[in-house]
Amino acid sequence: MKRSTLTLALAAAFGAMPVLGQTVEEKLQVLQQEIDDLKAQTRKPAAPSLQVSPYSLDYNSMLDRSSGLANGATNVVGYGEMSYSKFRQSGDATADLTRFVFGFNHRFDERLTLHSEVEFEHAVVSADDHGEAEIEQAWVNYKLSDGLNFKGGLFLIPIGILNETHEPPTYYGVQRNQVETRIIPTTWRELGVGTHGLFGEGFRYDVGITTSFDSGKLDDPLTGMRSAHQEGQLANARNLAVYGALNYRLPGLLVGGGVFSGDTGQNGASNPALQGVAARFTIWDIHAQYRIAGLDLQGLYTSGTLGDADKVTAALFAADPATAFAAPKSMKGWYAQAAYHVYKKGNFDVAPFVRYERIDIRQAEDPANGLFQNPNNDERIKTVGVNFWVHPQVVLKADVQRYETDKTQDAYRLGLGFMF
Amino acid sequence: MIRAARRPLAMLTLALAAAAVHGEVYQEPGAFIAEVFGSTPAPKVLWLTRELQAQAAAILGHPPAQLRQRYWSDAARSVWILEETGKEELITAGFVVADGRIDHVRVLVYRESRGQEVRQSSFLKQFRSAKLSQGNRLDREIDGIVGATLSVGAMERMARLALLFDRLSHG
Repeated sequence: MKRSTLTLALAAAFGAMPVLGQTVEEKLQVLQQEIDDLKAQTRKPAAPSLQVSPYSLDYNSMLDRSSGLANGATNVVGYGEMSYSKFRQSGDATADLTRFVFGFNHRFDERLTLHSEVEFEHAVVSADDHGEAEIEQAWVNYKLSDGLNFKGGLFLIPIGILNETHEPPTYYGVQRNQVETRIIPTTWRELGVGTHGLFGEGFRYDVGITTSFDSGKLDDPLTGMRSAHQEGQLANARNLAVYGALNYRLPGLLVGGGVFSGDTGQNGASNPALQGVAARFTIWDIHAQYRIAGLDLQGLYTSGTLGDADKVTAALFAADPATAFAAPKSMKGWYAQAAYHVYKKGNFDVAPFVRYERIDIRQAEDPANGLFQNPNNDERIKTVGVNFWVHPQVVLKADVQRYETDKTQDAYRLGLGFMF
Repeated sequence: MIRAARRPLAMLTLALAAAAVHGEVYQEPGAFIAEVFGSTPAPKVLWLTRELQAQAAAILGHPPAQLRQRYWSDAARSVWILEETGKEELITAGFVVADGRIDHVRVLVYRESRGQEVRQSSFLKQFRSAKLSQGNRLDREIDGIVGATLSVGAMERMARLALLFDRLSHG
């Protein structure tokens, strides 16, 4: 009786389906594999992070069932890079696990998601080491539609190309370009709220309100306002900032720009001499990327100003004359980059590139106290190198960099980067 | 003052309501199939034997999650509803294959908060008439979208898989 039922079931199963040149034996092997997989799954504890596959993967799913969006699912993403640098002038060489970043993304329901990234820099984090551990992103997104999203938390500011898309396989060169490091302080994030979305064919907007910089925290004369950004670390928030960005993306093309503006005096919260000083910082950029026939072209121009820069210089001197320096009052930078994909086969992709960068950071000098413009803030950098993708998500890099002003930075570099 | 604010508020409410209707499901797969064929034909099944699994895995970079793949076809076309992870979440896309070439592609469900540009026609039209060449790769370069690198890769892999499955479905 049992045998006849099984025979009928198999006959119904196979008879109802086209044969397609596949033998019954092959199909039985597939069924056996499915049974083995199911057995293995029953031995494991339930995995809430498994993504729901509502349409194609579940053979028994009804076509008309409503869309499952994997509510409750948590995904892990990440990227990392390591490098070897040999400095031409000193002969010194360093090897460094520059960063390893992992992130958890969680879907609460069909519209509400969490995005996070945790970054470790320089491999070891302790009081005696150079490493840092930091939260790079932690924000919640509520999606009404592609055209209207609301977000809140610690998120990346949409200025430049690199700040939002900075995974090593997505850019050329062992190190990130210096314009989007020293002037646009990639990876630049702030605590705040914002809205973003798509409109038309290829336009994306971003606007919002966030924490601002704190001029009283400036401690590096060579990186513009970078050392004053607060990264969500007990950020002084007496002064807030606004940002806006508009980008136009088509396959192979990106054109866009962004602006960020906010006072940075923070009413003297970290430097009493800045009480009542606005010290407004405004920075903007325009950028473009174009790919045609294996040629990758990319360019960016950015400009920023810090109001009351002379008062900030005075405040830095008042706080500690020994470490004080002239605050930045204006900063400009641009770069142009060209790469050509000379070899592409399977996952392998080889693209040599050249890049020219110009950095011009002007400081509010205070000659009476011996605070002057740092000559290394007027810099031109030439980079020649090659990216070799062994997989779209894993890249080997090599380059040579020449600095026109600060020759101590001239170096040969090798790198390995990945993302998942 | 309040009266003056009423109209913009009403327009904002309408805009939010209209936006809320769209959500992330651009088209139900059933509706996509019905649109292609005029009605919904009975589904057929491609059995992924070990050899076919190996070919699919070579395209995807991981073993296929399914061992039996549903599809729909008539004398001229076949339709494949496939899913692949972009950066974080599954993308559901419909592929129509005719005469060994992609006839057209549509993103049916997109779940991530970034990279929705892959559903725009300017991106999807690159797949039109694409066929498999050596090594089960597409016969053309698909231009990427800045900020949507992994979603673009997922769409390309699914297109290759649809073409492979279509070829295999013809025996």
